[in-house]
Amino acid sequence: MHWFNWLVVIAYLAWVVIDGIRKSKGTDTISGYFAANKSLSWWVVGLSVMATQLSAVTMIGTTGQGATDGLRFVQLYFGLPLAMVILGVTLVPLLHGSGVYTAYEYLERRFDAKTRSLTAFLFLLSRGMSCGTIIAAPGVVFSAIFGIPLGWSVALIGIPTIVYTMIGGVQAVAWADVKQMVLIVVALLAIVVVLMFQMPVNPHDALQIAGSTGRLRTFDFSFTVNETYTFWSGVIGGTFLMLSYFGTDQSQVQRYLTARSVDEARSSLLMSAYWKIPLQALVLLVGVGVFVYYQFVRPPLLFNPSHEEAVVAEAGAAYAALQSEYGEAFTLRESAALRVASADGDVDAAMEEFLAREADIQTIRGEALALAEDVTGESSRDVNYIIPRFVLSELPIGLTGLFIAGVIAAAMSSIAAELNSLATTSVIDFYRRWVKPEATDAHYLVVSRGATAVWGLFACIVATYAATLGSLIEVVNRFGSFFYGSILGVFLLAMIPRSRGTGAFVGLIAGMSAVAAVTFGAPSVSFLWHNVIGAVVVLVVGLLLGGIGSEGDTA
Amino acid sequence: MTDAESSTDAAKARFRGTLLRVLTVQVVALAMLGLLQILYG
Repeated sequence: MHWFNWLVVIAYLAWVVIDGIRKSKGTDTISGYFAANKSLSWWVVGLSVMATQLSAVTMIGTTGQGATDGLRFVQLYFGLPLAMVILGVTLVPLLHGSGVYTAYEYLERRFDAKTRSLTAFLFLLSRGMSCGTIIAAPGVVFSAIFGIPLGWSVALIGIPTIVYTMIGGVQAVAWADVKQMVLIVVALLAIVVVLMFQMPVNPHDALQIAGSTGRLRTFDFSFTVNETYTFWSGVIGGTFLMLSYFGTDQSQVQRYLTARSVDEARSSLLMSAYWKIPLQALVLLVGVGVFVYYQFVRPPLLFNPSHEEAVVAEAGAAYAALQSEYGEAFTLRESAALRVASADGDVDAAMEEFLAREADIQTIRGEALALAEDVTGESSRDVNYIIPRFVLSELPIGLTGLFIAGVIAAAMSSIAAELNSLATTSVIDFYRRWVKPEATDAHYLVVSRGATAVWGLFACIVATYAATLGSLIEVVNRFGSFFYGSILGVFLLAMIPRSRGTGAFVGLIAGMSAVAAVTFGAPSVSFLWHNVIGAVVVLVVGLLLGGIGSEGDTA
Repeated sequence: MTDAESSTDAAKARFRGTLLRVLTVQVVALAMLGLLQILYG
């Protein structure tokens, strides 16, 4: 990468850390450190909420998914606007008004200590591991693209994030999120502008080419529980997923607990309700645009450069033969794409020809990917490398650095929120609750900063060993999906006056068991439906056991 | 009508207004995606 691009990246990193530390004023109490003294405006919190949800995987993985699969992924977010409105009138006033630092703290007031501790423990377990994967995803890509050891790229992303999160607490995280969100949107728009100027065909023809491969098909109205991205799984399963994520996950709840008032907290969530679907559509459209661009500019046969190097070194002859075939197939597909663009009358015949040539390319790509898998012994799936390779080879100097900084910003904003929430839950729900209930704010601050550093280092270590921990991380992520809906069920029970602690606790275990049974018994059922199943089972069991147990508070 | 009742009514009206605005924006966004699908998909 050109030195000027590195300069842009380093300038961004320095700016975000220095400004984060400057924003640490007023964080000498736990209210300041964990809740920014409830002083933030709705737009700061709103951008922080959006930046937390938008990770580096969105920047490189989802754009890549747009290039290979089109727009249908956006259906996952169809339930988000409704979920935000529902949360605005249910959990947000409940949590913000109760003066808690964590969502789980509220569960003890409403139910009992065991329900609080179990939900908090489940959060620490899943988020602790997922934090490692959030660093690992861009870390692995940067390592391959720039040819640097994985440990370095993990450190590049992880260490600055740990520094400003540890020193500045939630306030530094929120203000860094604001800058990071702006940078992310600017970086995405920069690619859109470059694509518009460099695209060899006009927008109508580009859409015609993308459409002929099905990449502009957003809506799938089929009602099948085995398909992840359909209109119905998005609207029903997606609503439950988003209710759970934004309503009960401390990494999001902590964002809106910093708002000045309940109304400002509500408004901050509404920002996502308005903008999430258009933003996600933009991310996917960038990928679709890159797909069309690569019809006219020959892309690499393998997008992962480290795999390409390994294949050239160990199976050079076979790879050269594939490259030759690929070159010929590309020329034929390019001509077919131009015919789709210029066809006046017989568009269908031109599209048919184009699709046949596209299938040829995919066959050759499949052979190259299989070769890479044989040579490296790793998964050769290279969706995450499409956009970084495009950015490095096609974007002008400066904009490349801006986009790479945008990817790092997306990673940092998600990691910072997670580290911040992991430290808060560790200190408030465990250390202060069970180990040292009476201590000064200064003491809790020292412990909180230590907890942030420990979680940060743990996440970096998990990320560094991500390749070898692959199967373990998958197990943890799958385990995470067992209880996401179930935890939502517990919070829904909390709003029903007749529910009690024992019902909530037993319901939580029953909900997780039901989801585990579905996961292993019917693995084809899409994960979005797990959230619905978990929440409903907890509600039913919790209400059946309604009269049993303690009630710490009324709903 | 008591103060509590009128405040509940106001909250309900606010909720309906917010829901309507959010849904309107989403309908416009989805209509644009639908238009792309109809014209090119």
